[in-house]
Amino acid sequence: MIKEVLKTNKMKHQRKKRQRIYFAFFLLLFILILSNMTSVTLAAVVSPTSDFYVNDNAGVLTRETKQYIMDTNVELQRKTGAQIVVVTVKSLDGMSIEDYAYQLFNSWGIGDKNKDNGLLLLCSYGDRKFRVEVGYGLEGKLPDGKTGRMQDEYIIPYLRQNNFDEGIKNGYSAFLKEVAEEYGVTITGSEKAVQKGTSFQSIEIGIYMLVMFFFIFISIRFRGRGGPFIFFGGGGGFHGGGFSGGGGFHGGGGHSGGGGSSRSF
Amino acid sequence: MKKGLLITLIVIAAILLIGGITVVSTYNGMLTKSEEVDGKFADIDNQLQRRANLIPNLVNTVKGYAKQEQDIVNSVTDARSKLAGAKTIEDKSNANTELTNALNRLLVVVENYPDLKSSQNYMQLSDELAGTENRISQARRQYNEAVKEYNLSIRKFPASIIAGIFNFDKKPYFEAEEGSNKVPEVNFD
Repeated sequence: MIKEVLKTNKMKHQRKKRQRIYFAFFLLLFILILSNMTSVTLAAVVSPTSDFYVNDNAGVLTRETKQYIMDTNVELQRKTGAQIVVVTVKSLDGMSIEDYAYQLFNSWGIGDKNKDNGLLLLCSYGDRKFRVEVGYGLEGKLPDGKTGRMQDEYIIPYLRQNNFDEGIKNGYSAFLKEVAEEYGVTITGSEKAVQKGTSFQSIEIGIYMLVMFFFIFISIRFRGRGGPFIFFGGGGGFHGGGFSGGGGFHGGGGHSGGGGSSRSF
Repeated sequence: MKKGLLITLIVIAAILLIGGITVVSTYNGMLTKSEEVDGKFADIDNQLQRRANLIPNLVNTVKGYAKQEQDIVNSVTDARSKLAGAKTIEDKSNANTELTNALNRLLVVVENYPDLKSSQNYMQLSDELAGTENRISQARRQYNEAVKEYNLSIRKFPASIIAGIFNFDKKPYFEAEEGSNKVPEVNFD
């Protein structure tokens, strides 16, 4: 009788021990997945928003300018496959503007995948630097010297007077005209950029949700009520902006080899 | 007795087969990586050529405004012809560093000639030059990454044995020291 009680106690103890090991294992796995995700989120350069064509991180552009960039880009992209992306940042985080632009251009994939006809206008507010980065396919129309001259003419004089919105809009229009000319099209600006469904984004979120629920389920099974709270604590990382890619407008997969020109202002 | 011999033969054949497959796949892997390195170097080489082609124009423009700076102009011209004559990757790497240094000295001198600095021709040339140098530095980074991967793959054991048999040699880095080839900043204040 006593022997039997002792035996069941021992069994209970062993089962608990095993449960604890399982729990630790799944916790470890979860942390691993989480740390993987955050390493993806913590890219060196800014991530594209769902607007893609304009990312005003420094907050120097008016709504009208952003809308103008969006509308004309949608038309340009439909007619030629080319994309002209405008990005403003507060700081380059210690990188050179050449490296920053190169990384951003190629990770966003600006321009058509086969034509490589992307263009990036990058402004760092804090470093007071501006760069035009040109995709391979537009290097013929826009050689480095010409991009520098265009910056000096259309952009830099405005930026020197801290007139960011006008300078960037002015420069954007000038480069838009060049790209349109290259393909013999006219951009009327009459099209409206409308966000389509964000199916890709929601699938992505769906998968993460599923993974999360799986772990919560496992933790409840093995641990009882204590589990989910720990997981929710760790889950805070989800709000970091891992989903900022996806939906809306996308890059076409274009590349740049580092062509273009930089200016300080 | 006969059965034992058969089993032994089968085991030997299996070992040879597995060994052979390993050798072939390792060899092919190294070959692919080696080709990748060569391809990346071709990218650098194109840009080096482009850079060399820009120099005569730049030199002429500088001469037009700053006749007395003959020494510095000559050092750029010499470095350019060295780069043009370089055959091996190491030579090209060294010659390119030398050209960079000569050009940097030239850019410092140009500061004393405001007319030259603000001339349309010079501004365009220095943009082209800076752009080419940026292309070189991006291509160099990719080349050096490919070299690192390749060199590691031929030195790991047991792949190193196969690398030894088929003469896969270590490949050199291009201008390994970071910062030796900084893109000169173009500033027209």
